[in-house]
Formats: sequence, structure tokens, C-alpha cells
Amino acid sequence: MENVIRVEALAKVFGNQTALENVDFQVEKGETFGFLGPSGAGKTTTIKILTGQLMQTSGEAFVFNIPTSELKKGMHRKRVGVLTDNSGLYERLSIHDNLKLFCDLYEVPRSRIEEVLDMVNLTNEKKKAVSKLSKGMLQRVLLARTFLHEPDLLFLDEPTSALDPTNSKQIHDSLRRMNEKGTTIFLTTHDMTEAETLCNRVAFLNKGKIQLMDEPKKLRRQYSDNTVIIELKDGRELKRTSGPEHAQEIYQYMMDDQIVSIHSDEPTLGDIFVDITGRELV
Amino acid sequence: MSFSLKRINAIFQKDLKDLSKNMYIGSIIVLPILMAFLYSIGDGETPILLHYLVINLALSSVTAFIQCAVIAEEKEKNTLRGLMLSPASLTEILTGKSLVSLILTVVTIALCMVITGYEPTNLPLVILAIFVASLFFLALGTLLGLLTRSIIEASVVILPFIFLFGFGSMAKPFIEEITWLKFMEYLPNSQLEEIAYGVEVGAGFSDILENLAIILVWVLVGVILTIFVYKKRELD
Ligand SMILES: Nc1ncnc2c1ncn2[C@@H]1O[C@H](COP(=O)(O)OP(=O)(O)OP(=O)(O)O)[C@@H](O)[C@H]1O
Ligand SMILES: [Mg+2]
Repeated sequence: MENVIRVEALAKVFGNQTALENVDFQVEKGETFGFLGPSGAGKTTTIKILTGQLMQTSGEAFVFNIPTSELKKGMHRKRVGVLTDNSGLYERLSIHDNLKLFCDLYEVPRSRIEEVLDMVNLTNEKKKAVSKLSKGMLQRVLLARTFLHEPDLLFLDEPTSALDPTNSKQIHDSLRRMNEKGTTIFLTTHDMTEAETLCNRVAFLNKGKIQLMDEPKKLRRQYSDNTVIIELKDGRELKRTSGPEHAQEIYQYMMDDQIVSIHSDEPTLGDIFVDITGRELV
Repeated sequence: MSFSLKRINAIFQKDLKDLSKNMYIGSIIVLPILMAFLYSIGDGETPILLHYLVINLALSSVTAFIQCAVIAEEKEKNTLRGLMLSPASLTEILTGKSLVSLILTVVTIALCMVITGYEPTNLPLVILAIFVASLFFLALGTLLGLLTRSIIEASVVILPFIFLFGFGSMAKPFIEEITWLKFMEYLPNSQLEEIAYGVEVGAGFSDILENLAIILVWVLVGVILTIFVYKKRELD
């Protein structure tokens, strides 16, 4: 499989502070890769290095097999879409005028504006000046701008952090559709549900180091302690290992028609994260 | 290096529209025009010195300041990043912006010349000289814009330059007395004035070549410094 991002022994030091240390990973074409970690873990720093906004202190970073320091050429720019937490819009101009500028810069037809506005549910707002938008609307305009030129690779830094559940879901649907069409997505998030629903693979970053990297499902299974939770009609909730040792007891509850529900007690990605880092996600 | 007219035009259109809605930066145009009105009061012919006080003020406050403030604002509002991550090259971005500053300069200076009643003997030559000088002020504005991080900072940093280039001619009597001020005669604003005086006594293109060359050296210095600063600041 062709890799779109390749990072080897990447390190970044700011003054006397190490933001990234010996980071290694690859993202394959067509993947949605989640980069998870607490505040200050180095997620944004990684995106900045991968998009050529920052030089690494040491190590290698390639996008489309090109060193990220050489991505400046226009033809590469058109293949990449970037949304970082410090992206800005022209406040005095309307949503439409903001997008129009980027249509022209990326040389895509203006008809794309309506399409991306529809993707982020802002069609009726397009005449509004950016200065009059809510935080969630701003984030959606920025997403629309990122989608404008149908990039092969999307870098999204906390793309839904300011969105309500309905809008988040719509963005997730859009991302999934783009991914089905072949777009590779690299995203950071604090939202573990988002990571589970969208990502083929996730990496847990903590204090600049990757602690764990795999498919969400595999990680959950790996960290599961094989217990089931049994909810009984009398209101009790029992936690039992799923091996043969409790089979008789559970069988008896079933025979007595006592069971409301049984579900596996697999950890969430959030649980796993707390487990390996000893820190709550913020 | 890419140079797409379509992209330059897109940036030009955007900046023009944005500036038309920007009271803070846009109102700077009033400054030289107000000055022009003040100098045009009273009868008799306005001396060359006064015409050029207004023109040099327009160059430093309109050309340089607008260029500087517009770039500083893009940094303050985190929009420059978006442009730089797009296929637009720095040359395209700066050309688009410079065109806006240039057009406002042309409009302002033309208005001022009408108000102060400046009718040079050789208009094409004077226009050429003002144009070359405006390239220097564009480079100055770009340089200061890249060095500052907000409009407020830009407004403060530009002040000494407005004094030096805009009101420098007022210091003429002192320049002749104090030797260390002699360098001021070589500043682009003084050279522009010298050209204007020359033109009135019948100087032709070849006579003002030396003055033009001095201004061009300033342009070159400005451009080189700008490129140098940009290369250093390209990454965070
Ligand atoms: N320009 C900079 N100068 C100095 N230190 C920096 C700079 N940018 C980031 N850092 C430091 O590097 C570390 C990683 O920051 P980064 O922004 O990558 O974290 P993050 O994982 O994106 O956090 P968040 O989830 O809060 O966005 C932090 O300790 C931060 O203080
Ligand atoms: Mg971040």
C-alpha cells in the first residue's frame, strides 16, 4: 500500500522544551488516521511540521514521498487541505467572498462554493460578514474552505471542537464521503467518540511520544478485561468475567427471566488513554 | 517561481474590497488631502517645497502605511497563513497587495496635486519620478509589515518614517548647517524634490538620471531587506 505520510524519528524542540520526541508513523492512502493526546502533547506541532509551517529539529517527515520542507510548490499545495487551530478568515468580507478568493487561488470553479457550503450546512448564511458569525459557524466556514479544492490529503486539527452534535454529525458524514472517494485524512481530536467512529487507526501521543498505535477496535479488545455487565430486573448491576466460571450463574438468571441486558465491558478509547498515560483528556 | 495573473487579481480584488470596509486604515488617505487643503489656502503660487511636503506625506502615509498595515493585519488575524498554504506564491500575494496600495497612492496624489494646483512643466518626468519613489515606499511598507504583528504595532512603527520622509523637507534649513544631517539629501523624498526643482528649470530625462538612480538604489535596498526578512520569518 502506498503511504501518504511517513514520519521517522521526528523531534521538535522549542528552546529548552521538547514538543516531539522520536515520533515514527506512516499513514496509508485512503486511511483516516486519528492523532490523539492531551493538551500540549504535540499534535498541532506535528501538523505544522507535516504542512511545512514549521521545521523539525531532527528526523524526517515526508508527504507524498516529498520532504515536507519542499512542499511549497503550487502543485503540491493543491493536493493538501489544512485546517489548524490558528486559521483565520477575512472578517469584514462575507462567507461567500472568503471562499471566492480561495476558489481563485486554487483554480477551482466558483460552483464549488455552493457545494462546500452545502456540506457544512451554511448555504443560507453565505452573504453574512464573517465578523458576525458564531464560533461554530466560523469553524464550518474554515472546513468549507479546506474542502474547496478536493484535496487528496486533509489535515484537520480538532475539526469539530466548536460544533454542536448535529453539525458534528454532518461534518463526520462529509468526511466519510470524502474518505470513500479516496481522500486520506489526518485528524487530531479530543473527542474519543469522533475518533472511534471516523478513524481506521489511531495513535496516542503523550508528552511528544507515541504511546500506542492501532485500530480502535483492536485496542479496545486488547485492553478489555473480558468482563460483561449484567443488568437485572431487580435493579442490580453485576460485573462478571465472561469465562466459564460464571456460566452457571448467568444461566440461572436467564432461566429465571431476571436479565434486562448484558453487555461487554470493553474500555472506550478514553479509558485506554487514561490507563496508559494516567492523565485525563481535556 | 509561479506568477499567475488570475491569483494576483484574486488577491487584489479581495484586498480592495476589504480595504473599502476598513475605516481605520482607509481613513489615512484623509491626512495628505487635508494637508493639501491647508497649503492651498492663501493666494499666490504654492512653492514646490509645499507641493512635495504633501506628495511625500502621501507616499509615506498612504503607500507605505497602507501596505504595512494590510500585511500586519493579515498576520494579526492569521489569514496570511491561509494564503501561504495555498498555491499563491509570496510574489503573487505581495503584487496583489502592492497594486491596491499603488492605486490608492495614484488617486491620493492626483487629488492632492489638483488641490495644491501643482502643474509641473514636464508632467511625464515628474510622474516617472513619483512612480519610482512609490516603489521604494511600497518596499518600505512591505518590510515593516513583515516585521510587525498587529495593526496597532504597524501604526506606531510607521510614525518615525512618516516624520522622516513626510516632513523631512521641513528640516532643509538645518540640513545645510549640520553636517551629519547631510545624508538626508540622499533620501528618496529629497531626491524627488530635487528632480521637481530641476524639471522647473528645464531639466530633461538625462539630467535627472542621477537622482532617479539614487532612488532606485533605495528601492533595491528595500527589496533586498524585504526578501531577507521574509526568508527568516517564513517559518514560525
Ligand atoms: N511556537 C512555539 N514556541 C514554543 N513552544 C511551543 C510552540 N508551539 C508549541 N509549543 C509547545 O509545544 C508543546 C506541544 O504543543 P502543541 O500545540 O503541539 O500541542 P497540542 O497537542 O496541539 O495541544 P492542544 O490539544 O492543546 O491543541 C506544548 O508544550 C507547547 O507549549
Ligand atoms: Mg493543538
